[in-house]
Amino acid sequence: MPLEKTDALMSLRDLKVEFDTRHGRVTALSGISLDVKPGETLGIVGESGCGKSITALAMMGLVPNPPGHVTGGSIHFQGEDITRARARRMRKLRGGEIAMIFQEPMTSLNPVFTVGDQITEAILLHQDVSRTQAEKQVVELLATVGIPEPAKRAQSYPHQLSGGMRQRVMIAMAISCRPKLLIADEPTTALDVTVQAQIFDLMRDIQREFGVAIVLITHDMGAIAEMTDRVAVMYAGRIIEQGTSDQILDNPLHPYTRGLIGCIPVLGREAAGAEALPPLAEIPGIVPPLHLLGEGCAFAERCQLADDHCRAQRPALEIPALQNGGHPVACHHAGITTRAELPA
Amino acid sequence: MAKTDTIPEAVSPLREAWGQFLKNRPAVFGLALLSVIVGLVLYGHFLHDADPYDIVWMPLTPPGDEAGIWFGTDFLGRDMMTGLLKGGGPTLLVGLSAALITVVIGILMGALAGYFGGWVDDLLMRLTEFFQVLPALLFAMVLVTLFSPSLWTVAFAIGIVSWPQTARLTRAEFLRIRELEYVTAARSIGAGNGRIIARVILPNALPPLIVSATLTIGVAILFEAGLSFLGLGDPNTMSWGLMIGQNRNYILDAWWPVTLPGLAIFLTVFAVSLVGDGLNDAFNPKLRSR
Repeated sequence: MPLEKTDALMSLRDLKVEFDTRHGRVTALSGISLDVKPGETLGIVGESGCGKSITALAMMGLVPNPPGHVTGGSIHFQGEDITRARARRMRKLRGGEIAMIFQEPMTSLNPVFTVGDQITEAILLHQDVSRTQAEKQVVELLATVGIPEPAKRAQSYPHQLSGGMRQRVMIAMAISCRPKLLIADEPTTALDVTVQAQIFDLMRDIQREFGVAIVLITHDMGAIAEMTDRVAVMYAGRIIEQGTSDQILDNPLHPYTRGLIGCIPVLGREAAGAEALPPLAEIPGIVPPLHLLGEGCAFAERCQLADDHCRAQRPALEIPALQNGGHPVACHHAGITTRAELPA
Repeated sequence: MAKTDTIPEAVSPLREAWGQFLKNRPAVFGLALLSVIVGLVLYGHFLHDADPYDIVWMPLTPPGDEAGIWFGTDFLGRDMMTGLLKGGGPTLLVGLSAALITVVIGILMGALAGYFGGWVDDLLMRLTEFFQVLPALLFAMVLVTLFSPSLWTVAFAIGIVSWPQTARLTRAEFLRIRELEYVTAARSIGAGNGRIIARVILPNALPPLIVSATLTIGVAILFEAGLSFLGLGDPNTMSWGLMIGQNRNYILDAWWPVTLPGLAIFLTVFAVSLVGDGLNDAFNPKLRSR
């Protein structure tokens, strides 16, 4: 696939990642194309097992190998194909230009070193500064991410901090070298709702201050609504719908996306009256095992609109011909919401 | 944010384990016993300084029969007390160096095998299994007889036959820890393999390795005694094992030349084991409440 000139910070083109498993070679990502623009927030949303985390790891050049392999496509970061970059170059980029925060702040910090030591280490890996200077930066960073008494906190071990504090430390470590891209893999899933809001606030502040682009990986449509500029919805290793956050949230075209949005609880449902809002929805079934995917649409088994066409032929990701405009979606029945509307 | 929340004093995991260790009475007893033994071995010459090879009295004089020869003499009339004080050093040294060799080879092999996996793991583990199925004592005897039986040969021989266990333990810890999120997190800030092995995984794998290394010291001391008993120790260096080995023919006539160094070995290994068990309990939070 020819690479068109883009203003994107990172471009994934037709990225394919496969894993060797007991069931033979399984395709975890089958042709993902994405752009992340400088300074924006891109949301990647989907259920567990749809390939969001693998996409994140691929962006870091960290697909576990073995058993995983990037078998096709490209990931260009500032014009450089990082799927072909040497290990040395990747180490330079990781932490320096592309940073990541993880789902479990409880387990993503090394338990035997103080948090200050760990951030110092990250700084020394990428910057040509003395240890004393690095330690000074650490205190400033901890203050930036809203940790009280940062100089004292730098001496703490991870187990002495709460989950929210640890995630702040992770963010401090991630931004320590002023990366251009921050990948956040479900950064708030393991946290209390109130802490979750604080972390999102912090991420927005960081973005404003440092101009960093954020890729927010989540299964939470609420987080998408709150944080992102653009969204890619993933299902079974493919992007099935893509657009601006407003397009996706206001006018979801894929039945799966509608399902995800239907899963957001609305506060005060009873007060609003039962007829005013549909009941809290669920999507029946689970993401099919990747080695059992057939020729048709991967969502067909769980989709109330599915017909023989859906089961026989996988829909491509394209802009459907709809009156009110549209955005790329991979569905034969894009824009149709109920069985009754299906063409006979 | 308000400065209201109090920050607990930072306690390193090692210091916390030390606190746990101090609450463990047998372990503290073991440590005290070990300190006394090591103290006597290191500073015993201030109490009683003499050449352990000097003949001081009639052979096989029982303990207490003669003033100044409180522990009796051996089959050549050498002072047992001098032997016990001077022979402890080489014994402990062999134990320590053998444990060091074991730990260095074992950690290196286990870390590489566990971290890299794949063919590296296969290769190193086959090698480990090869050394593991060798009959340890026989192999050590062969090594010591092939080379001159110096202290270092003995330590080396013991090290060579004992590392597989440490290697397997290290590998298991590395296999477990390399999948943890903080390893991926370390990688995501640009840490390379060497740094991840040495600075991220190894410190977290250390507790069981420290325990195993401590216990290896005890095993190595026993091993050295065994080799010396069979006459394969270094005859030019007085050690507890050598004393037992040289006096074993006279055991029916005189119990002390064999029993006293045997007791010294027993007490040392006992103390080391207590310390090792104490460390195990201190590092393993699951055992703490017992």
